Amino acid sequence: MTEVALSEAPRAPRRRRKRDRGFWAYMCVATMLAVLFLLPIVWAVLRSLQPASLASLQPQGADFTHLTFANYKAVSHGLYDILPNLANSLIVGIGTALLTMIVATLAGYGLAKFQFRGSGVVFGVILLALMIPFQAVLTPLYLELSDLHMTDNLVGLILVYSTFNLPFGVFVMRNTFQQIPRELVESARVDGAGVITTLVRVMRPLIVPGLATTATYAFLYSWTELLQALTFIQSADKLTLPVKLYDITTSTYGAINNAYLSAGIVIAMVPCIALYLALQRYYVQGLMSGAVKG
Amino acid sequence: MFVLFPLGYAIYISLTDWPLLGPYHFIGLTNYKNLLQDPQFLHSVKFTLEYTAIVTPPIFFVGYGLAALLRANRAGAKLFRTIFFLPFVVGLSTVSFIFEIELQPNSGGVDFLLSKLGLVSDNHIWTVNTGPALLAISVIVVWFASGLTMLILTGGMQGIPRELYEAANVDGASWWEKERRITLPLLRRPIALALIISVIGSFLAFNQFYILAQNNAGLETVVEWIYQTAFTQFHLGYATAMALMLVVVIGLITMAQFLILRDTTEF
Repeated sequence: MTEVALSEAPRAPRRRRKRDRGFWAYMCVATMLAVLFLLPIVWAVLRSLQPASLASLQPQGADFTHLTFANYKAVSHGLYDILPNLANSLIVGIGTALLTMIVATLAGYGLAKFQFRGSGVVFGVILLALMIPFQAVLTPLYLELSDLHMTDNLVGLILVYSTFNLPFGVFVMRNTFQQIPRELVESARVDGAGVITTLVRVMRPLIVPGLATTATYAFLYSWTELLQALTFIQSADKLTLPVKLYDITTSTYGAINNAYLSAGIVIAMVPCIALYLALQRYYVQGLMSGAVKG
Repeated sequence: MFVLFPLGYAIYISLTDWPLLGPYHFIGLTNYKNLLQDPQFLHSVKFTLEYTAIVTPPIFFVGYGLAALLRANRAGAKLFRTIFFLPFVVGLSTVSFIFEIELQPNSGGVDFLLSKLGLVSDNHIWTVNTGPALLAISVIVVWFASGLTMLILTGGMQGIPRELYEAANVDGASWWEKERRITLPLLRRPIALALIISVIGSFLAFNQFYILAQNNAGLETVVEWIYQTAFTQFHLGYATAMALMLVVVIGLITMAQFLILRDTTEF
């Protein structure tokens, strides 16, 4: 962080005067806070590279001299294999993101561009749904899913997760579509494009930020969700990653728990952080602008 | 549509003695009557309220502080913002697993660092005793959630015209006067939003307690208790009645916060 500032300084000498004591105070405080915020995450990564035999002992500086990928190997086959759970989580995460994106796009488009009787009411209901915690409908949802024979089923879980992500998704997509000038849509119509063609050809580049926000939000939600995954999935081969990691913490593997869990933690962090860094420009912007429009 | 139908269904279930399997009977408001006399339910409500009261102010002030620190968009601000939001991105269950390992006595990193800094003299058994466990979980949650508050407030701060601050500078206003007279009044909506999100989040706390306080009956939140009643004791009707009371309480909190922080300034 400080290197960035130092390397920039010679390139912009006229700004140097502005970099007074206040700037360095800011840099110091922010850097210290950044270390504090990153510490547990970096620590978790180092922990996962520690030999399993050391994981239950007092931490030592010397531990970092013999790092190993043994824990990752251990959780990728045999008794402690978490790769199937990783696959389940990816299926559910990507499925939820796609389904939420598609439905939210169509609903947001409809709400923003077609004024029909009651469109205000529909949007109000969606906002209301944003406020209702899913924990409240956990039991009826469970009964509905079991009526549909969708409990213990990844598709059922995707449907549930998409349901809870839709209100936010529709909200974001409606705001996105409202910012697109009406003339653009109308001129496409005049040229003979249908609703779907307009959506796909004309608007696509303009709605990418909204889509990215919706998809990231839905993916991160389903990736880390524990309560519903515990409730709706029972078979060992269908468990999502958080539930599997939870099982490791309560299991009787003994001292090696920590070692395997730590590898699982890093495996669980990588997709989230990668997705966030790749799409953060849109995601952060989406969350920040949501605040302004309220 | 997707949420309201189950909600109606939930109200119906809460009026029955619905078990997971087998026949059920309509029993009117009996579940609600029993709830108000159920010591475990009342304890979980009381505990959840305490927890919410403990974590909400620090999350808000840390989030506000971070947003204010990066407000001027000086060099590195973007990078710092990314870092401060990272715990939230990693997700509460993964974060809880990290501390499941690091809060352990002897081998955990928390005791190790705190004793190196001279803050604790011996090993603590963090998660077994109620006080230390609550302290640890609260600190973790502040670390986890303040990034979101920061982002929401940053969004609001960037909407405030720079000229207002410049005018205040000309008038010789102090930092605190500027915050109190300009920032806070114009940030009402983002502040309300950030507070509502954080209060609802703490009220519905589940992951961190389920993972980090597995066998700690003193640290049972409402949602944990609902989950247990429904899916380990199979009293679905009763659990649903609890859940609906939770919805009502959250609705009231949300409304109260909206009213207190009502946006009276148009801009």
